[in-house]
Amino acid sequence: MFHRRDFLGRALGGSALLAAAPTVPEFLAHGLNTVVPYADDLYHRARPTLGLTRREVLRLDDYHGFHPQLGDLKRMYDNKQLAVVQGVGYPNPDRSHFESMDIWQLADPSRAQTNGWLGRTIPAMHAGGAGVPGMFVGQDRLPVALQGADGGVISLADRASFRLQLTGNAPARRRLIEELNGGTAGGDADLAAFVRRRQLQTYTSLQKIEEALRDIGPTNNNQPRRPDQPQQPNDLANLNGKLGLIARLIQKGLGTRIYYASLAGFDTHSGQADTHADLLGEVSSSIGQFFQQLGGEANRVVLMTYSEFGRRVRQNGSRGTDHGSGSNLFVAGPKVNGGLVGRHPRLDDLVDGDVRYHTDFRRVYATLLDQWLGVESRLVLGGAWEALPLIDKSKPDGGPAAPAPAPPRPGRPIPAPTPKE
Amino acid sequence: MPAPLPAELAKVDPAEAWRPWAPSAEEPWDRKRVAHLFRRAAFGPSPADTARALTDGYERTLTRLLAGEPDAADRLAMCEDAGRYLLDGTRIRLGFDFNNNPVDPGVPVRGWWLYTILEGGHPLREKLTLFWHNHFATSYAKVGSIRLMFEQNRTLRRHALGRFRPFLLEMSRDPAMLIWLDSNQNVRGAPNENYAREVMELFSLGVGNYTERDIQEAARAFTGWHHTPDQTAFEFNPSLHDDGAKTIFGQTGNFGGEDVLRLCADRPACAKFLVGKLYAFLVSETPPPAALLAPLEDSFRRSDYDVVALVRIVLESRLFFSAHAYRKRVKWPVEYAVGAVRAVAPERVPLGDLIDPLAKMGQVLFAPPNVKGWRTGTDWLNSATLLARNNFAETVAMGTWPRRSARQTNGQLDAVVAKSADVAAVAAETVNATAAAAAVGAPASYGAGFETLDTPDGQMLLVVGGTSAGGPPGGAVGTPAPGAPTPPMDARLDPTLVLFEPKPAGVPELVARMSDLLYGEPAPAAARAKIQSFLLGGRPTLPPAELETPASKARAREALHALMCLPEYQLN
Repeated sequence: MFHRRDFLGRALGGSALLAAAPTVPEFLAHGLNTVVPYADDLYHRARPTLGLTRREVLRLDDYHGFHPQLGDLKRMYDNKQLAVVQGVGYPNPDRSHFESMDIWQLADPSRAQTNGWLGRTIPAMHAGGAGVPGMFVGQDRLPVALQGADGGVISLADRASFRLQLTGNAPARRRLIEELNGGTAGGDADLAAFVRRRQLQTYTSLQKIEEALRDIGPTNNNQPRRPDQPQQPNDLANLNGKLGLIARLIQKGLGTRIYYASLAGFDTHSGQADTHADLLGEVSSSIGQFFQQLGGEANRVVLMTYSEFGRRVRQNGSRGTDHGSGSNLFVAGPKVNGGLVGRHPRLDDLVDGDVRYHTDFRRVYATLLDQWLGVESRLVLGGAWEALPLIDKSKPDGGPAAPAPAPPRPGRPIPAPTPKE
Repeated sequence: MPAPLPAELAKVDPAEAWRPWAPSAEEPWDRKRVAHLFRRAAFGPSPADTARALTDGYERTLTRLLAGEPDAADRLAMCEDAGRYLLDGTRIRLGFDFNNNPVDPGVPVRGWWLYTILEGGHPLREKLTLFWHNHFATSYAKVGSIRLMFEQNRTLRRHALGRFRPFLLEMSRDPAMLIWLDSNQNVRGAPNENYAREVMELFSLGVGNYTERDIQEAARAFTGWHHTPDQTAFEFNPSLHDDGAKTIFGQTGNFGGEDVLRLCADRPACAKFLVGKLYAFLVSETPPPAALLAPLEDSFRRSDYDVVALVRIVLESRLFFSAHAYRKRVKWPVEYAVGAVRAVAPERVPLGDLIDPLAKMGQVLFAPPNVKGWRTGTDWLNSATLLARNNFAETVAMGTWPRRSARQTNGQLDAVVAKSADVAAVAAETVNATAAAAAVGAPASYGAGFETLDTPDGQMLLVVGGTSAGGPPGGAVGTPAPGAPTPPMDARLDPTLVLFEPKPAGVPELVARMSDLLYGEPAPAAARAKIQSFLLGGRPTLPPAELETPASKARAREALHALMCLPEYQLN
């Protein structure tokens, strides 16, 4: 068994860890009011009351700004630890929530796939660290993205099925099994010795999960927080609590390579401004705290956010926006190539009232699969996708994001994709 | 008596390695070798298999494994009838249970294949069918038609021990494969390289034995190899076929798909690639020195890719019966689950209870993760999958089968498949039973279970509903309801029926019997001592009469489970 330090080194070499916290989802749903083209007159004309002004936004450059609630993300951006991938979408967008969500989670606009993209990723991964390969941190049912990962995913809501089943005489039986696996007798062959180690790791895995849950204390309920309730930092109904638990599990060296958490409530057809601001604030501060909490382990982590679709450019009659297409997503972490990726979709070139996407979301997935998880993306996505400049493993290890002002950098234009399916 | 093979694989003379093995005083045909042969050439021995193999001797046993039981053809015909019956939507509404809840439509066919593995009378053929399923890995997850997956499975089986060239041709025209690798998008002027790439990289040659140019040209040759609009058959579409000249592997001609397949099989890399994969499957997952496999590659080529001839050379070789092969593979989940059942279950188990555990162990039949197949070897084992193996062993050792107990409690019967001459009558009865269950509001379940039933007419495969079966629709396959109680032990599936036949004289003999059943040899001494002291529970000894009390038998089941949690039990 290699020493833990070696493992970390190895992790950086190619079997690193992805904390896909994707469904922070509909967070991107507000593309235009998340990454704001504040300098664009068309934006202000389309969003006369919902629009954010030059003075309100956190400016990234002389055209783009973050929503004012995204302070932590702005700090990561300034530290070159946050990539903002703009104009992400897929051909012939579907504006139904459920169908669009399926498409993102299946990574298949035709929806012919029945297993989620991470569900297809997990069995294709090398079983490096021996732990549970994928974990869903939430109380809801398993997201489509993780479905179909045979022998690879546990859901925290269903920890009961992740235990050694010992009916009856449990303590004595457990002792016997642990003793049988603890010795060295009979471990003549390398393969048997390997299995013995895996077996022992298995018995400690659940213990580590239970410890991590004990550390955060009792969670008061499983219900989403009402706006009038104070936020409990460790409550697993909050994104903050979920990401905090994930950070603890990463620090315990559980060996899990994909974590998944979600945050709902972004579907703001009406009264958008306040709700949106609260949710964005939660996303930003949770992600900021997550990387702080990880400390040095952060170098092994990439976090991606996604949502099923953007909003229509123009606000509707109830001070909200309706479902649209084309949005942006965030990829964060010390080994991420920070900055704007791709230009902001043009507001004077709309399709049915929507911005026109120029980067297929599967290019983002393919980049993370090939360059971070070390999984051949074509096996998961069924075709070749051009990589995006998101990952730079040669970057020096970064500490926790510190406030360091950096000059805004212009977006790098990315040529229109040519998917080869 | 030849000198034993060197302990270091690199020093083994390839010619010696593949010479036939013969029992001798030093290497007798004993339980250990019987178990080894049955683990590799079948899915592990049942106690009856072991007894028969020891009586018959090595030669007859090997011959039977290679040819199958004398009635294997009849059994297969029955199984295929059963499969077709199962797929007939007028009898079972695939996709929904009888309360209109969605069901994973792959479940019945998975159960069907497990049934065929156990009852088809030709385990080696099923073993190789499983190998080719992983080789030509196609998934229901994209194909979307269980019927096409069933038909592909029949094709795999038909060629499993046959010849590779016609096999490769038929797989290249298999409707499920055509859908899986987007063949209909491959047209003149806009070739789709998907199939051309996989046929070289994964099906015949392996990485590094072709150029990108070869793939592009081969894709042109496959243009027009389509499935019919209803997706049920292959059709060649000449108007979309590019009949221009292509250059593949340095040869130029107006090649079509058949030519590509011929050119691939003509390459020296083809035998190398296939022999390497079969070696890992049948002999050892330790990478061999290249020279070791050269004699196999030569003879495979000379036989024009006769698979059964190759398999025979391997299974009867000195290397196969040496320490270089013994326990040098990690059991595939199907090998693990079927092997455990065959070793210690006193009678047929509800096969539906294997489906969810197999998914948790990482192997859903008809749904490999991608075109490269499952990640085998040590990649089978992570914390989640190992736990699933330990927990499935618990079900087997304790005799606590959820579907059996569900059926006993509510008597619910959803459907039936039968070889019986009177299928229609059985079906009518089934429909009545189902209607009656629905009328009294008996809870229907997700997924269907399987049982077998012996009737005066012959044997039948039953599809049975069970309240504790399966998981939520679309959810993780087979997540049991949280907090669901462990089902009670079914007395007919109590492994002590096997362990106590004949009655052991004492605890040491009982432990030896367990080891024989599970491993074909005694467990390591230290493990034996721990199991014995667990069974004795602090007492110095246990008289035979006390060995059979319910409490002692319960301990025996628990000890059996512990023995199944030894690392060696994960190895084949």
